[in-house]
Amino acid sequence: MTVTVPVRRPVEELPEALKPLRERILSNLTMLARLPAPPGREQDRVQFLLDRFLEAGLTDATTDEIGNAVGRIRGRRGNRTILVVSHLDDIVRSGTEHEITVRADRVIGPGVSDNALGAAVVAILPTILEHLNIELNSNLILLGSILSLERGNHRGIRFFLDQYPEDIHFGICVEGIELGRLDFFSIATARADLVCQVRNGGAPSRPYGSESALVVLNQIINRILGIPVPVRPYTVIRMGKLRAGVSYDTEPTRALLGLEIVSHEDDQVDRILREIEAICFEMSARHAVEAKLDVFFRTRAAGIPFGHRLVTSSIEVMRKLGIEPDQRHTPSEVSEMIARDIPAVTLGITRGRKHQRPKPDYVLIEPILRGVAQVVGVLLAIDSGACDGI
Amino acid sequence: MASEDWLQRRTFHHTNFSDIRWLLQHKERQGLTISLCLPTYNEEKTIGQEIVIFKAELMDRFPLLDEIAVIDSGSTDKTCQIAAEFGADVYIASEHLSEYGHYRGKGENLWKALYLLRGDIIVYVDTDIANIHPRFVYGLVGPLLVNPEVHYVKAFYDRPIAHSRQLRPTGGGRVTEILIRPLFSLFYPELTAILQPLSGQYAGRRSILEQIPFPVGYGVETAMLIDIYQHLGMEAFAQTDLACLIHRNQDTVALGRMAFGVARVFLSRLRRDGKIHYEGQLPTLMRQFEFADGNYRLREYTIEEIERPPMIQVEAYRQKFYPQKEPSSAQELPPLSPPSEQLSGETV
Repeated sequence: MTVTVPVRRPVEELPEALKPLRERILSNLTMLARLPAPPGREQDRVQFLLDRFLEAGLTDATTDEIGNAVGRIRGRRGNRTILVVSHLDDIVRSGTEHEITVRADRVIGPGVSDNALGAAVVAILPTILEHLNIELNSNLILLGSILSLERGNHRGIRFFLDQYPEDIHFGICVEGIELGRLDFFSIATARADLVCQVRNGGAPSRPYGSESALVVLNQIINRILGIPVPVRPYTVIRMGKLRAGVSYDTEPTRALLGLEIVSHEDDQVDRILREIEAICFEMSARHAVEAKLDVFFRTRAAGIPFGHRLVTSSIEVMRKLGIEPDQRHTPSEVSEMIARDIPAVTLGITRGRKHQRPKPDYVLIEPILRGVAQVVGVLLAIDSGACDGI
Repeated sequence: MASEDWLQRRTFHHTNFSDIRWLLQHKERQGLTISLCLPTYNEEKTIGQEIVIFKAELMDRFPLLDEIAVIDSGSTDKTCQIAAEFGADVYIASEHLSEYGHYRGKGENLWKALYLLRGDIIVYVDTDIANIHPRFVYGLVGPLLVNPEVHYVKAFYDRPIAHSRQLRPTGGGRVTEILIRPLFSLFYPELTAILQPLSGQYAGRRSILEQIPFPVGYGVETAMLIDIYQHLGMEAFAQTDLACLIHRNQDTVALGRMAFGVARVFLSRLRRDGKIHYEGQLPTLMRQFEFADGNYRLREYTIEEIERPPMIQVEAYRQKFYPQKEPSSAQELPPLSPPSEQLSGETV
């Protein structure tokens, strides 16, 4: 299949055409990354996007009721509506100084890869289209979504999708890394905090049980490790966070385990959650603790077929730009769109690193223009009708 | 009180000038050009961000700046490579006007910037700033673009200092408060209205900057204020609140050496202006003590504060900028000479 791109220049030439905008993309990136944005406190980044949208002539750019930044560009025909979204929040540790360094080959600093770069691209997309003399037939919605990560649980985009009065026909999620990322289905995911709290605050008068929440949590972890996890359907339990205690000489009365369960099938996630809850119940009784599982994030397994024209068109655009597609299923806003039968893909902009403390986050500069060109190429493919139908 | 009146009229906030399109109209109507000078010495950590933001926001989006130039003192890190990568013009200070010798120091770079840059307005911004923002430029050029009586604009701001990985809420300005402000109060009371006289962020018209001498070291900011004041009076000044500036901290001992250089420049101007008299030359040796291995040890630093003459007196400059005219006809005011005792000095 050939992607018809209604633009004067072929997709392959877009990176070169975008060169004059490189510093503007990097400027957006550094200024956004310097604005702290834990989930629920993204207002400064929301305002940044709105300012950029307004400057680019999107006169009705505004926030929706929950606080997402929304900009719209009316298409010539308006026969379909495309949503381009980037989440604005990050999970940079509280108290971290948002100090950004721009080297010749990379931008370094907390949150640059997840997801200040994605937001920087969405912020400049109207300018890019104007620079390339592209006027879409389709309506284009640009969304900077809030409350995406951690306990935000995609609340921002879910609110937007549930409340937006018009049909949305396609979606593109923009993430900072990795270039080549192509998510088009959503894996079943549950994220939860398991909190183990010693009853009575660990008073020594307790007749039985442990006085250390950490020790009990360790036993719970060992029990979780004993839960059968099938190879097929692909299923995994990840234990990613562990917090307990303040000093060497005091046993903690509270311990927290952060865990994620992912599977290609919803049933597996449901089963594992039930088993963990049973473990919590049993260990609570055995050790005089309150062990509770708080599931705060869920996505259901869903997706569009590999043969969907949006997927094949995206792959073709990538290959024209020398980008090797890497099909994945990392949780992202794409799952919310797919869950609502909106064909959508997640695209990464460049290569880099995220969330590997104490190593700093970074993004490489050189691939960025190809990454941005890829977003434009997929946008044009959708606009041309090449992605309509299965 | 005159100072209060001046403060009221000539103190701005950067938000007064945040409408860059409006500033651009002023600039174009007057046919002015604006150059940004970034003096550097091993600033690879911060220079990239500064250039990216200034170029993107103030050249590519709005052509408020006509050029961005790094004037480097011989960095041994990647400062120059990074600056060039993002589109700045990079000049190694020692390679230009070399027939006039070379000294190492920020003031030397600022002086040579007058020769190397072409703008009618020159904006000087330090390159160790962690929270750089376009306001650091438009806040400074704004008063110059909207008021022809203003010739020189100084920045002031809150100065949380980068300390370890956290910010301390206050700090900075120690040399100002315990040295400069008392001296200004004694000898140039009107200048006390300049809230942060040692701020490294300022903008001036070429027409006045070329008329004043430039100390090559610590005293350049102090000298600029006194010399422009002597030339044009208080009405030539304005100042802009740039909100918050985060930069590297300097320890008190380093500030002591800075204070020594500033004091020499200050005293030399007092003598030049007939406000004090002393015989001979001021010493150039700064003595400090450090405690190590159970003993106090004397450390001596030679701080000369060499001064460069007004650029208008430099033949190469006159040929470049006033090829058809005599400097005296191009300028209404005679240039200020550097204090005589400062004219000697070894080149490096």
